[in-house]
Amino acid sequence: MDIFLQQMVNGLTIGSLYALVALGYTMVYGVMRLINFAHGDLVAFSAFVGLSVYGSLFSEGTTSLLAVVSVFLLSALVVAFVGVLLERLAYRPLRTAPRLSAVVSALGAGLVIQNSVMLIWGPNMKIFPTDFFPSTLWSVGGIVITFTQVMILSLSSVLMVGLYFFINQTKIGTAIRAVAIDQDAAKLMGINVNRIVMIIFIIGSALGAVAGLFIGAYYRGITFDMGWMYGLNAFVAAIMGGIGNIPGAMLGGLLLGLFNAMITGYISTQWAETFTFVLLIVILVFRPTGILGEKVAEKV
Amino acid sequence: MMNKTGLIALLLLGFAGLYPLFVDSAWLAVGTTFLVFACVAFSQDIILGRAGVFHMGHAMFFGLGAYTTAILNVQFGWAILATWIPSVVIPMACAFALVAPIIHLRGDYLLVATIGFNIIFIQILENDVFGLTGGPNGLFGIDVVHVFGYDFSSQIHMYYMAFILLGITLFIMRSLDRSKFGRAMFYIHKDDIAAQSMGISLRYYKLYAFILGAGIAGAAGSMFSVQYSAVSPEAFNVTQSIMFFTIVLVGGSASLPGVLIGTFVMFVLPEVFREFETARYLVFGVAMILTMILRPRGIWPVKFGNIPSFLKKGAK
Repeated sequence: MDIFLQQMVNGLTIGSLYALVALGYTMVYGVMRLINFAHGDLVAFSAFVGLSVYGSLFSEGTTSLLAVVSVFLLSALVVAFVGVLLERLAYRPLRTAPRLSAVVSALGAGLVIQNSVMLIWGPNMKIFPTDFFPSTLWSVGGIVITFTQVMILSLSSVLMVGLYFFINQTKIGTAIRAVAIDQDAAKLMGINVNRIVMIIFIIGSALGAVAGLFIGAYYRGITFDMGWMYGLNAFVAAIMGGIGNIPGAMLGGLLLGLFNAMITGYISTQWAETFTFVLLIVILVFRPTGILGEKVAEKV
Repeated sequence: MMNKTGLIALLLLGFAGLYPLFVDSAWLAVGTTFLVFACVAFSQDIILGRAGVFHMGHAMFFGLGAYTTAILNVQFGWAILATWIPSVVIPMACAFALVAPIIHLRGDYLLVATIGFNIIFIQILENDVFGLTGGPNGLFGIDVVHVFGYDFSSQIHMYYMAFILLGITLFIMRSLDRSKFGRAMFYIHKDDIAAQSMGISLRYYKLYAFILGAGIAGAAGSMFSVQYSAVSPEAFNVTQSIMFFTIVLVGGSASLPGVLIGTFVMFVLPEVFREFETARYLVFGVAMILTMILRPRGIWPVKFGNIPSFLKKGAK
C-alpha cells in the first residue's frame, strides 16, 4: 500500500509536468490544426535558460524566493519570446499551405532549437542547481514527498485552473475559442486572428517553460535532446485526452503520469514506453478522438 | 518520341548505372544506401503521398524486413535468398494486423499511433525478446547472396542489387499510376467524400497502401541488412521514420522525381557536409523550414488537378 501511495504521488508529479507541456500542444493544435513538434525542444531550452539565469544572477547555493521567482519569470519570458518568433518565422508563412508542410516546418524548427541548445550549452549533460528549491522533505504515513514535488503539484494546479478560467471567462479566452472553431468567422466578427495566435504561443510556450524548469529541478540532469522524450509523452497525453481540448490535455497528462508511475513501480521500467503506447492505441481503438475529444468529420 | 523529363530520367539512369566506376568505397556505400533509402521513401510515399495517410512509423517496416533476414540467417542459418520472401511477407502481415484496427483514425491520431508502433518495435528489439534480436547491439555477421557457387559479396555487387531493387520499385510505382488502385487513390486524393459515395472503400485502399508500402520497405530492409552485414535497433528508430516522412514532403508527395530529390537532399547532402559536424543539423533545420515556405508542396511537386493523360480518351 505504501508503494502504491508513493507511486501515486510520483505519478501525479510527472503527470502535472506532462499536462503542462500537453497544454502547449493542444492549444496550438486547437487553433492552428498543427502538431507543434518544436514544443518539446522549447521545454528543454527552458531548462537551460533557467540554468543560465540562475548561474548569472545568483551565487551558487542560493535558495531564496527571489531566485525562484526571477528564474521562472525570466525563463518564461525568453521561451515565450522564442515561441512567438517561431510562429512568425516558421508557421505563419505556412498557414494556408497543406497541413503537412507546416508539420515539416515544425520538425525543422525543433532541429534548429535542439541544435542551438547543443551549440550554446554543449552536448554533455548539465546538472540543474540542486539548491534551487529547498531540499526539505516530509514523510506522511510512510510516503515521502519532497518540496519540489509540492511546488510542482501546487503551481501546476494553479496554472491549470487559471488557464481554464482564462479560456472560459475572459474576453480573450472567448476570442481564442472562437478562432479555434472557425478562423474565418472569427475574422468577420472583428477578432484579430494573428494576435490570438500570438497569445496562444505566448501561453503555450510559457507553460512549457515552467514545465522545463520543473523537469530540471525534479530530475536534476538536463540534456539538449531531452525535449523529444518529454515532448512525445506530453503529446501522447494530449492525444489521449483528445487533442485541441484543454481539460482533455490536463486529464490525459495526469492519467499518463499515474499510469507510467504504476507501470514502473509494479511491472517493469524496461517496457514502460511499450505500455504507454499500448494504452494509447487501446484508448484510440475505442475512442477514436481521445477520451474527451468530440466527433469531428475531417478531410485529410 | 522523347520529352524533356524522359531525357533527364535517361541521363540519371546512365549516371546511376555507371556511378560505381568513378567513386571510392565510402561513396559507393553512400550510393548503395541512397538506392535503398529511395525504395523506402517510395514505399512511404505510397502510404503518405498517395493514400494520404499520416504515417510516421515507416522505419518499423524497414526494420522488420532487415531483422527478418538477419534473424533467419544468423540464428537459423537460412540462406539470404531464402529469406527474401519472408522479409517481404512478414512486414506485410504485420502491417495488416497492426494497422487494420486503427485505419479509421483521423490523421493526427493515426500519426501518433504509428509513432507508437515504431517505439514499441524498438523496445522489443532492445529488450532482446526470445533472445533472437541481439538486444541494443543488434546482430552481426549476416551472410551475402550465393547463387550457383558465386558470391555476390563486393560493394559493387551490393550497389547493383540495390539498383535492381530500385528499378523494381519504380516499376511498381509506375504501374500503380495506371492500375485500379492508382485511379482510386487519385480520386480519394481529389475528394475522398465523393470517392466514398462512388463506392470506393477508403478503408480498403488505405490498408492496401499500407500493406504494399510495408512489403517494399521490407525488401529494402533485407537489402540494407545484407549491405552492412549487421543490423541494430537505432537504424530503425523514430528519428529514421521522421526522415522518411520528411523526404516525401520535402521532395514532393506522389511525385517520382520529387521523392528521389527528397532522398538526395535529406540523406546524401548531410553526408557531403559531414565535416561541419556541429552546425550541420542547425542549418538542416533552417533549410527544412525554408523549403516548406518557398515550396509548400515540395521541391518537385506532382501536378494535381489535371486529368492524367492515361485517363483521357484517345490520348496517344
